[in-house]
Amino acid sequence: MTGTRRRTYSLGIAVDWFFFVFAGLAAVWLAYLSFTESFRVGWWGLPFFIGFWVLLAYLVLPRLHRILTTVYVPDYFIGRTRTSDGLLGDPVNLALLGQGAQIEQAMRRAGWTKADPVTLASSWRIITSTLRRRSYHEAPVSPLFLFGRQQDFAYQQEVDGNPAQRHHVRFWRCPDGWLLPGGTRVDWLAAGTFDTRVGLSLFTLQVTHKIDADTDVERDHIVRTVSEADPRVRVDVIADFATGYHSRNGGGDSIRTDGDLPIIDVRAVAADAGDAVDAPAREEEATS
Amino acid sequence: MSSAPPPHAPGKRPAYEPGALLLSPVRYDPDMPRPSTTVAGVLLVFLRVLAGIFVLLELAREWDSLFGDLVRADTTADAALNDPGVRGILLAAVLGIGGILLLIDAVLGILIYRGHNWPRVLVMLFSVISISTVFTAWWVRGEEIALDGTFLSLSLDILLLLALSSRSAAAYARRNERRPEND
Repeated sequence: MTGTRRRTYSLGIAVDWFFFVFAGLAAVWLAYLSFTESFRVGWWGLPFFIGFWVLLAYLVLPRLHRILTTVYVPDYFIGRTRTSDGLLGDPVNLALLGQGAQIEQAMRRAGWTKADPVTLASSWRIITSTLRRRSYHEAPVSPLFLFGRQQDFAYQQEVDGNPAQRHHVRFWRCPDGWLLPGGTRVDWLAAGTFDTRVGLSLFTLQVTHKIDADTDVERDHIVRTVSEADPRVRVDVIADFATGYHSRNGGGDSIRTDGDLPIIDVRAVAADAGDAVDAPAREEEATS
Repeated sequence: MSSAPPPHAPGKRPAYEPGALLLSPVRYDPDMPRPSTTVAGVLLVFLRVLAGIFVLLELAREWDSLFGDLVRADTTADAALNDPGVRGILLAAVLGIGGILLLIDAVLGILIYRGHNWPRVLVMLFSVISISTVFTAWWVRGEEIALDGTFLSLSLDILLLLALSSRSAAAYARRNERRPEND
């Protein structure tokens, strides 16, 4: 069994790719059909038109983006995270030294809340808390990818019970022996941005959070809260790590940054027992 | 961390990602939680089974009138087709075969839910064949895709294919496959 599986291994992935691309093309056709159908049946076409938009924004475009970005977006570190569709996402604007548990301890002491993972239950809770105008401090954040992996964990701060606005920062553990461009060794990278409102994304046509264009403000907010909460936290800055640039993230929002990369050193922070990060621990088990 | 060294560091890497990278295997992760895409795909398979049951019931209800048309249309038709007993046997055969196919579809859905890969590939293959057939009829012969029947079954097939071919569903179905070598 294992012998045949090993032989046909990449063939299986090739078959998956065939289905992946075929499904994308078929979905384009289905979107076209529901679009033309919506005109033919008059006012009854309205639900068809909504169906067309849902199909286009949440199934067709993500699939097309996924196929195209796999072809042309480089898969190595360029200082940007990627969305699940492969588009460029929030900029990486923080680096950290220390264990995952130490980082989590430092974040908690600084008044940040860990985000729940995205599940059916947590998604349902977002809907109910939004409708009832209650705050949900542990609301999950959408997955962003770095090193080909979803974030290991994310922390957030709510703004006055307003579900549309929040501070949030995602963390990724760097691969072993990995160095930043320029040769600095760091243990973790993070991307912090501030959600300003809920809006329609320019690139994906999906309803999503719009982020504040000046990502430096959020970066400095994270550094300030963490270093003020614990005197053992040290901060170093790589000036002009990324030269100042204008760009857009995967949601089509503008991004402005001066390009500085603060390195937060939490190695002196004592981590509580039982604070271990699940994701890397599981990975270690799987690879060893 | 005792895992293998990162794929390309610290040596130089090529300016372009090699095409073979696209065929690199998924991560070995037996503890992977079931993604929503797999659940959605299985739900669509069950919806397809439900739709199939309705079609069979409708067929059984209209069985006699269907035959009336056929026999009238073809004057040389076998007289046996006018015998209610023969019609009953034919109906039982059609319902039986259809029921078995639907049952197989449902079992495949359950197997996909439990994370097997081959039923996922099989179900997707059937969807591809069915979509291609409808597409050919639509493109070449200009056959209309009516809102009532064809559109519904076609959209079920396409949505099912989208869900089950997604990367998370594929990774879940292949979560137990080990890499041939460590990168």
